[in-house]
Amino acid sequence: MTTDSTSSGTPEDINPHLELDITKKRRQIDIVKKFREEKLFAFGIIVVFLSIFLAFFGPSIAPIDPTLATGDVSFPPPPLADWPGLLWQVMTTDMENPPHWFGTDSSGLDIFSRTIAAPRTDMSIALLAALVSLVVGTVLGLLAGYYKNIWTEILMRTSDLMQAFPVFITAMILVALSGRNTANIIFALGLVYTPIFIRLTRAEVLSQKTRGYVEAARAVGNREWVVAFRHVLPNSVVPSLIQTSTTIGFAILLTAGLSFVGAGVRPPTPEWGLMIAQGSNNIVHGEWWESVFPGIAISLTVFGYATVGHGLEEDYR
Amino acid sequence: MAIDEMTAPAGDTGSARPIMKVENLSVVFPRPDASDITAVHDFSLSVTEGEFIGIMGEPGCGKSTAAMAMLGLVRPPGRIATGTVEFLGQDLGKLDEEELRAIRGKDIGMIVQNPRHSLHPMIRVGTQISNVYRAHNDVSKQEAWEHSIEMLRMVGINDPERRVKAYAHELSSGMAQRVLIAIALSSQPKLLIADEPTSGLDVTIQAQFLDEMWDNVQKTRSSVVLVTQDLGIVANYCDRVVIMHQGTIVEVAEVHDFFNSPQHEYSKAILGLQRRAQEKGVAIAKVDEKAPPLLRIEDLTMHFPIRASKSKVHAAEQVSFEIKPGECLGLVGESGSGKTTVGRCLLRLEEPTSGSINFHDVDLASVSREEFRKNRANMQIVFQDPLDSLNPRWTIKQVLEEPLKLHSDMDQEQRLDRIRELLKLVGLEESFVQALPKEISAGRQQRVSIARAIASNPDFIVLDEPTSALTPETTAEIIELLIDLSNKLGIAYLFISHDLTTVKFICHRVVVMYLGQIVEIGTKDQVFETPRHPYAKALLSAHLFPDVANRRVDREVRESLQGEIPSPITENLPKGCYLFGRCPSQVEKCRNMPQELTELEDGRLVRCWRVQEGELTD
Amino acid sequence: MIWRFVVRRVLIAILQLVGISLVVFFLIRLLPADPVARLVGFNATQVAYDQAEAALGLNKSVIQQLGDYLGIMSTAKYDGIAQGYLGDSWVTGSPISEEIGRFLPVTLELITYSLLIAFLIAVPVGITSAMRPDGVGAKITFFWGLFAGSQPEFWWGLMFVFFFFTWWWEQFGFFLAPAPLGRINPMLIEPAVITGFILVDSILSLNFEAFVDAAWHLMLPVFTLVFIVSGPIIKMIRQNMVRVLRSDFILYARSCGLPSRSVSLYALRAAMAPAMTLIGIFYGFLLGGAVPIEVIFALGGLGEYSIRSILSFDYPAIQGTVLIIAMVSLLVYLTIDILHAFLDPRITF
Repeated sequence: MTTDSTSSGTPEDINPHLELDITKKRRQIDIVKKFREEKLFAFGIIVVFLSIFLAFFGPSIAPIDPTLATGDVSFPPPPLADWPGLLWQVMTTDMENPPHWFGTDSSGLDIFSRTIAAPRTDMSIALLAALVSLVVGTVLGLLAGYYKNIWTEILMRTSDLMQAFPVFITAMILVALSGRNTANIIFALGLVYTPIFIRLTRAEVLSQKTRGYVEAARAVGNREWVVAFRHVLPNSVVPSLIQTSTTIGFAILLTAGLSFVGAGVRPPTPEWGLMIAQGSNNIVHGEWWESVFPGIAISLTVFGYATVGHGLEEDYR
Repeated sequence: MAIDEMTAPAGDTGSARPIMKVENLSVVFPRPDASDITAVHDFSLSVTEGEFIGIMGEPGCGKSTAAMAMLGLVRPPGRIATGTVEFLGQDLGKLDEEELRAIRGKDIGMIVQNPRHSLHPMIRVGTQISNVYRAHNDVSKQEAWEHSIEMLRMVGINDPERRVKAYAHELSSGMAQRVLIAIALSSQPKLLIADEPTSGLDVTIQAQFLDEMWDNVQKTRSSVVLVTQDLGIVANYCDRVVIMHQGTIVEVAEVHDFFNSPQHEYSKAILGLQRRAQEKGVAIAKVDEKAPPLLRIEDLTMHFPIRASKSKVHAAEQVSFEIKPGECLGLVGESGSGKTTVGRCLLRLEEPTSGSINFHDVDLASVSREEFRKNRANMQIVFQDPLDSLNPRWTIKQVLEEPLKLHSDMDQEQRLDRIRELLKLVGLEESFVQALPKEISAGRQQRVSIARAIASNPDFIVLDEPTSALTPETTAEIIELLIDLSNKLGIAYLFISHDLTTVKFICHRVVVMYLGQIVEIGTKDQVFETPRHPYAKALLSAHLFPDVANRRVDREVRESLQGEIPSPITENLPKGCYLFGRCPSQVEKCRNMPQELTELEDGRLVRCWRVQEGELTD
Repeated sequence: MIWRFVVRRVLIAILQLVGISLVVFFLIRLLPADPVARLVGFNATQVAYDQAEAALGLNKSVIQQLGDYLGIMSTAKYDGIAQGYLGDSWVTGSPISEEIGRFLPVTLELITYSLLIAFLIAVPVGITSAMRPDGVGAKITFFWGLFAGSQPEFWWGLMFVFFFFTWWWEQFGFFLAPAPLGRINPMLIEPAVITGFILVDSILSLNFEAFVDAAWHLMLPVFTLVFIVSGPIIKMIRQNMVRVLRSDFILYARSCGLPSRSVSLYALRAAMAPAMTLIGIFYGFLLGGAVPIEVIFALGGLGEYSIRSILSFDYPAIQGTVLIIAMVSLLVYLTIDILHAFLDPRITF
């Protein structure tokens, strides 16, 4: 008897092309569809792209040098009614003194320029710190989940201990004691966020390890480390990748929070948390604009990353 | 409409009065970003007094949803879109929530699958039974509690005074199932709806339950609607069968009619293998009896240590057997029998505690892991869960390419040719190479697994329950494919299964295991026609073959074992015969006398001194 | 049984504390900071520098320093951790345990009230939105859960100060909230410190004027924290409840004809047990995470103490702060775990 006859006439084969259509559909990127259909997710994606764009080009497109004090000290932003006229002026004439859209601070720095230049600092810290913790955490998590020995046991105990540390205070210690600069903040945040990724990856590896395809990969004749890195790892990174989006958001908050309490980057670096901190001294006197605009920037950016993280998580489930 | 005619009561129950009448029931599940899914479409059925009805269909065909909807219940966020349910002349749709509630659990009892998840995890089972009893009867807490103990005793739970205080996670699934039965029967319902009540239970336990349910129906003239995807259950217990496919009823028939002359295409597909075997004689080729064995395992023992305890899990104890080239050896047994462990040890997916595995005259149990790895080209395995055993991120091409890269020096072009050839061998179209596992059906996934196993031209494959995750019609196709491949390529199989129906189709010889020991080895005919060991006998008797000519309920004596299978840990194992305590033929001598596997005059091996001495015949 | 569980957990917690004290000790010494220079100034002479170094004990080897710190094989005149002494601050010279004893209750009071209120709001809101998933309320709840959890709390605190203090006064001529300058109006007599919780102390000392004023001062910081943490708490309670409502045992309970009140109780019971562990997680998170809020409202809590110690490289104070925070969170986790074990029989001791 031939194998053809075994499958003919079964319901499975009523429409042999049905399944192939699904294969084709997969080739369209799901994110595009999601972007069109879900407003919150679309908002998040726009925020992600805009924040990365500003990280690269923010300082260059700022109309006024963000670290250069102008003569205008504590200037309020122009009333909204004047904005169209001012915009028209900026576009048509070559103004010697461009308007301070968001006003100036008590040192005469232009807040609009500083707000769009800040992602250079905030975003590079957040993105690189998240990347460091993702890579280190995933590899350590894979090892800890896949191999059970004294070293991975020590690794997990250490990771547990690190999670018992208060994140904010640990980050403060790491940054303040190693020097308040961008590289050290990246290192510090990378370190405090690594245990999350170790945990996530390890948990996923532990559950993937019991799956049949791992056993099958072994039975086919793969070496153990090939099974770990080629089969288990790619199937275990998705939760971590999703977590990355959320972690980037938290890293932005932490970066700003450190500057706010005086343990982050030094002035006059344009940085959102620092700007809010400087404005906080004057806000009770009614100079609200110094803190409001960078705060809105943080609020929207972190929310954007959170919606992307949430959207991806929902799809994954 | 044809279906309406079919739902009319069958001849022998014609005079009985109808209990439930369901008409045009539809259930839809809304989806946030797409059109609603209609899980059940236009479902109509009438149930008469004393009737045992089976609803059958593949997973996801809507049978469970339909059963729930008969009670007016749907899992959120679904809802009942149309239809009426009439119970004892009352339209359930017109009742208010309180009146409905009074009927549920009192006049209509429900038994669901997954018993341990259906009990509240944080409330004692006694309290849960009492709560249901008190919801329908005006009794005090104390009386309800005592009633719960009584009910547990009635469904055969030992030491009910203690068990009544247990939580769901402390019960075995067999015991949890009994608790559900106790709850369902506690108010003596007129209709019992049972949704796959025996899925996940072993065959001997399954038989105990279904017998009990059937007897109950006979005694009280109540009715049962049983949802299942097991042809054996339908054939052995049901009076009528309803076949569902993609949310719709495609056939309703009296059970003998269904098995003898199915009408719908889909019904025919379900019964595929039986029918084709009868017509064409599907079989695996004969084996050369005189050939030297391909594989000979001796005294294979596998003990798993238990953490923080001195005792061990005795998964396999001194297992010995051999397989000839091209032979298919069946390995059968219930959970805890060690059959899967034996298969995994053969491939060193577990490192056996002791014993030897001679394959092509090399002891594979003693070579290094790296040495063994090279040998994997000759020895392959197909797993139970087809989707689970394929890397979810790999296309079919990648899956099939891996063994070729590992075990041959083909170039890209040659590998592609070989992949095409493999797909053809397992009956898949070439266009599937770019698909991901989840995009193809379970049957096709299993074909891919088989293709991967034969890619490196092995002469031996372990088939670890290859069909137990599949629907009846897919099972038939896969079995036929395996027979076909063995005939074409001369591959020997170790076919591990708890499903004796499939074993009967494919195997030359059969090994029966119980608690890690082999209790009987013989040819297929010896074991299936005249089993000698009491356990083998009970297993065969309890197994529900889809054969309406020899229904279990029609038999005078329904042989079955007492109690449950103990888990094979050191302190649980009986000192003498492992079956002691459950065996119908035990005598006092069996208690302390360890049993040896000994050859009988007809060539089979049996581990029972009473059989060896000729005390147990027939 | 339960006692064995508690004893085992306490032993593990002690081991963890030892681990944490070791990690923090080595961590701060690994980092390239020079506390001596910070203390004596960069222009100090070598002699002054060496004197200061010796006074701080930093001229000893790291192993000797560790011994002094732990109070095991100590070479110093003072006690170490083993004797229950956290050392003296390098900046103020007073014992660290005394200082922390002053600052810690402020933080504890702030986050205890905040979490209590957040849960009182989150539990009913989360459950209602899970029961009616199609309603407008559920949509708002969903948005809130996502939004609030990802907000800069210090900025919102600042905005609230601006709105309720500055702007309100400009518009209406009176203050809706006090100036963010501490826990109580300095013109009032502060209640005697009994528990360190100012609201509790003022009631215990029958100082109702102080009670009202302190509550007024706590209003905005607590409101800010509730505003932020209620989001994720609502989100998780809602998810729990949705999962439970779709579970097999709820469907089965209904199919058995249990009254809807019993079914609701079944669902609540299953949904609440895991939500309890959330309290522990958030408590631990806020212990170190409420720092910026304390700064804005100048409450004088542990967060501000830690900033002061860290920026002045006051090693004993840093070690003490981290250790105390870890100890409090471990204590909270332990309490929650024990309660959880009582509620959920699946947790084995």
